[in-house]
Amino acid sequence: MFSDVTTRAYDPALRKPADGAAAADLASQMPRLVARAREIAASLAYGVHGRKRAGVGETFWQYRPFASGEAAYRIDWRRSARGDQLYVREREWEAAHDYFLWMDCSPSMAFGSSLASDDKLSRAVTLGLALADVLVRGGERAAALGLTAPVSARDVIDWLARALAENAMEAARDDLPPQAPMRPRARVVLISDFLIDPDALAARLRRFADAGASGAILMVTDPSEETLPFFGETTFVDTDGGPAFYAGDARSLRAAYARRFEAHRDAIRRAAQHVGFIFLQHRTDRPAAEAALALAMGLLGTDGLGFEERR
Amino acid sequence: MFSFAAPLALVGLIGLPLIYWLLRVTPPRPREIVFPPTKILRELKPDEETPAKTPWWLMALRLALAAALMLAMAGPVWAPSGVVASSASMLIVIDDGWAAAPTWERRVAGAASIIESAARAGGPVAVALASETAAPVPGDGGRAMEKLRSARPKPFLPDRKAIGEQAVAFARAHPGARIIWISDGVAQGDAAGFAHALKESGASGVEVYVEDHAPRALAAPTNDAAALSVDVLRTGDDASAVIDALDAKGRTIGRTTADFNGAPRVSAKIELPVELRNEVSHLRIEGENSAGAVALLDARSKVKRIALVGGESADQAQPLLSPLYYLEKALAPFAQIRMARPGVVDPVQALLAENPNIMALADVGLAPGETFDALSRFVEEGGTLVRFAGPRLANADDDLLPVRLRRNGRVLGGAMSWEEPKSLAEFDATSPFFGLPAAKDVTVQRQVLAEPDPGLADKTWARLSDGTPLVTAERRGKGLIVLFHVNADANWSNLPISGLFVEMLKRISAMAGESTPSGGEQSSTMAEQSALAPMRVLDGFGALGAPGPTAQSIPPGFEGPASAEHPPGLYGAGEVFVAVQTLRPKDGISAFDFKGAGLSATALRSSSQLDLRGPLLAFALVAFIADALIAMALAGKLRLRPFGAATAALLALLCMSAATDETRAESAPKSASSQRDKDVALTTRLAYVVSGDAHVDETSRLGLDALTQALNMRTSFSPGDPVGVDPAKDELAFYPMLYWPIVASAPQPSAKTVARVAAYMKQGGTVVFDTRDALAQRVGGAPTPETQWLRDLTKGLDIPPLEVTPRDHVITKTFYLLDGFVGRYANGETWVEALPPEPKDQAARPVRATDSVSAIVITSNDLAGAWAQDKRGQPLFPLTPGGARQRELALRGGINLVMYTLTGNYKSDQVHVRDLLERLGQ
Repeated sequence: MFSDVTTRAYDPALRKPADGAAAADLASQMPRLVARAREIAASLAYGVHGRKRAGVGETFWQYRPFASGEAAYRIDWRRSARGDQLYVREREWEAAHDYFLWMDCSPSMAFGSSLASDDKLSRAVTLGLALADVLVRGGERAAALGLTAPVSARDVIDWLARALAENAMEAARDDLPPQAPMRPRARVVLISDFLIDPDALAARLRRFADAGASGAILMVTDPSEETLPFFGETTFVDTDGGPAFYAGDARSLRAAYARRFEAHRDAIRRAAQHVGFIFLQHRTDRPAAEAALALAMGLLGTDGLGFEERR
Repeated sequence: MFSFAAPLALVGLIGLPLIYWLLRVTPPRPREIVFPPTKILRELKPDEETPAKTPWWLMALRLALAAALMLAMAGPVWAPSGVVASSASMLIVIDDGWAAAPTWERRVAGAASIIESAARAGGPVAVALASETAAPVPGDGGRAMEKLRSARPKPFLPDRKAIGEQAVAFARAHPGARIIWISDGVAQGDAAGFAHALKESGASGVEVYVEDHAPRALAAPTNDAAALSVDVLRTGDDASAVIDALDAKGRTIGRTTADFNGAPRVSAKIELPVELRNEVSHLRIEGENSAGAVALLDARSKVKRIALVGGESADQAQPLLSPLYYLEKALAPFAQIRMARPGVVDPVQALLAENPNIMALADVGLAPGETFDALSRFVEEGGTLVRFAGPRLANADDDLLPVRLRRNGRVLGGAMSWEEPKSLAEFDATSPFFGLPAAKDVTVQRQVLAEPDPGLADKTWARLSDGTPLVTAERRGKGLIVLFHVNADANWSNLPISGLFVEMLKRISAMAGESTPSGGEQSSTMAEQSALAPMRVLDGFGALGAPGPTAQSIPPGFEGPASAEHPPGLYGAGEVFVAVQTLRPKDGISAFDFKGAGLSATALRSSSQLDLRGPLLAFALVAFIADALIAMALAGKLRLRPFGAATAALLALLCMSAATDETRAESAPKSASSQRDKDVALTTRLAYVVSGDAHVDETSRLGLDALTQALNMRTSFSPGDPVGVDPAKDELAFYPMLYWPIVASAPQPSAKTVARVAAYMKQGGTVVFDTRDALAQRVGGAPTPETQWLRDLTKGLDIPPLEVTPRDHVITKTFYLLDGFVGRYANGETWVEALPPEPKDQAARPVRATDSVSAIVITSNDLAGAWAQDKRGQPLFPLTPGGARQRELALRGGINLVMYTLTGNYKSDQVHVRDLLERLGQ
């Protein structure tokens, strides 16, 4: 009989829950998020491109005959001992892309409702870290946009997580992806709720495109933000400090709100597709692995290693 | 009239405007939700909705809530009785004579409401009963109420002198005290003196309350040869009184209506044959449950049948010469006289055939032979033989005499004698004539003399001044032989023409028919007669019961007024008992003139005061819940369908109407009950009737639960869980037995329901009615409320003749062999359908049964109360008299009942199994 939809929010920058004891700041949540990110990444490694490979961690590319003049240490003696010819063990050609991941840490992300188990921020961070791990294993380099330089270390998750936790305070300031120096043909992955002005986002994306970057946009949404499942006399408080909104009967707004929200999402999608970014959306009541898979497939293609341009 | 226990709390009502203002300013708080896309919402429409004002109706509700709470705190009381509460100490004097008994319940209720109001005002209250002599102790309302509840009307009219003095002392000790007299309105018992004492006591207020009932009474019952008559007294202006003549078992034998015709005292006659009249044990005014309205009849008032036989042929021409003439005159007022028709060959035998109590032989000599044997047998079997001396007796030589006689008597004061005629000596204390005045004018000229055998003194009832016996007597067998040593006419003495003769014959006639406790112990019976112990005494309501601790023995010839020491009732032992009446024969009763005494009497209204706190608090609670619901609905926490508000209002209305109007509720569970019927039809189970009293219903359920367990464990019958049924709605056909505890406060079922129950009983169902009032029942007293309720109910039922369960009824043998059915109480009777009378010609059968199961079983022992146990198997209620054995017997009785309803008369056939087997063996 009574509405059971409740919402919770906290300030990601402060170690103080704003609503309820379950929420905590980003830094203290980070170990949990890291663990989950590893799980998801492992499932992706098997789920997407594990079938074509003999085993995990095999970095062999090919053997080629030893050319005179090369350094002798490059000879693979074990292979060469089986025949008369000398072979060199060649590794994969390192033509890695730089992936710049941006996980929005603005206050509006630190929000969840009773309809979903995770708030948007932890879901975004989980996805971002998992993606970084998958990318690094796929031979790419990953970086937190505006926070770190691209790395290809195997502990990229910890690397990025530490950077996020340490810089959450500054990152929370802005709800637009920051500008960062990046090499041409870099990839940008933006994970946010994108409750921002679509025009501002479009302008920022154009700057990325101008720098020669392409990438993906993942719009994370709480289910309550889509459906507005509230009733009666309600005051809506903005997380970004805007003026509160009073509704005489929240339910009467539902249809209009749904239309308006859809329009906003369309605007974001148009802004993304205009500059050639992939647009993906994810609801926090869906499994995180689902979004991670979509992201990985969107960015890497189905074979996981062979990178293909997607336009 | 309204009054407030704490009027100061009403000041709080001043705060209502403040609440009004606060409510106006503070609207219900909206729900607050953190919501990131608020920006998007904000684009939808501007903030046009300003905080709503509290709706006026919500405000009215809240103000009403607050007002109700404040009023409730002030403790409002609606007091229709008009007794003004004050904090002064109060003495309530309650007349507790029998005159108050018919309206006792109302008196207690009225006094209780006075005590309540006094207790609420905080003043000390003392309750005093008119029969008390102790000083009243003022205390709080609880103590006074306790005393009031324990008071019972007394079977006599107490003298108010002592309590009058106590009231005066109370008024002195407590200045400003109020004295309230709840009077029975009867002047007897020094009402005038008491009224005077109250007026002079100096109490600040004297109030008199009376009940609107003028008591009636019976006095001086006489059962003489002509008719059974009794004096009927009244104090009010009743036009008539219906008088029932009841036998020892309480059955009405005769009935008459006495019309007062304006007189305060009339004599009523009950015309009945002598045999029936002698069965009458007491008379009672119908509808008047008081000791005064009961007149007891004892052995003395039984009409005796006396056969007279004279020795000589009666000379009709000269009656004064016949001894029978004097006897007839003396006996006629109190006995029925039988005389042989002239010309009968053997008058003694002819009269013995008429079964007299007393055979009086005036100078008859008996020769051994048939007549002698018949007379001997008559005496042995309990007849009384009274013989008078005479010439024939003096020369006869027979055995039917108490003493051996000397040949020829002696003549005193005749021409040939020196001696003067002798007069009577005082009667001995051991003599039945003790207490009669030994008339000095009685002289004896001639008498027969007894041989001075040992034991002669003990046999002598009356003697002359010289010590020679005049009347001797001896017990023989069960009977009594009395010999007057003079003859029955005036020849030998002038005793037969004296008043003393009549009195002596009366005493003898009263003794006739009494059996001796044991053969030959004549002297001990004589000694016992010197003081009679109370046997059964009347209580204030006019019911006979065991004597209380204060009842003491009465001396013989006790005629004084009934009192606490000598309550009215039957005194003596066995069949030898004497009745002490509530009113002496000459006593009268009259209404007391309160105006003449300067007091004004008000009618006592028993309607209790209405404490309005409860309803007000209930209203406040309902309003509070409603307010909470409304607030939630406004805040959006209450999810309502479209037209939700209207639906909610409708729902609330339905709930309210369901509470008052049950017809709605009846239609709703129709389908549910049929589903339940399906369930219960599959398993045989016990059922009880839901009385509406939650406590009783729970007891019934737990009791039948325990019985079901016992049946499961001990018998091959495994019933399902017991259910409560409402005979108005549920189908009864599935239950073999219906346990129906009677709750007097429950409304009588409708005629339709009674018809359903009747149909159930016709179809073979058994209803076990349990009035649960065995402790409250009084034999012959007014019916208890439960009994009355059951009587009202059974008016619509076709009830067969009932009887107390006989020992050989099959119901006592269906599973266990039982003597009776006990429950929480063991003293109540269990009634079942009467068995057909036992056929005389057949040999006695060990068990009897009707063809069908008795459709009705009535008990008052509270069976379920004895069965009931909690989850751990511990019994729930204490038993009276108590003990594990009684609980076990109660359970066995229950098992027998169930088995009886299931097997019927099967067990009565079972007892013939042995005979059948024997026959088969041949």
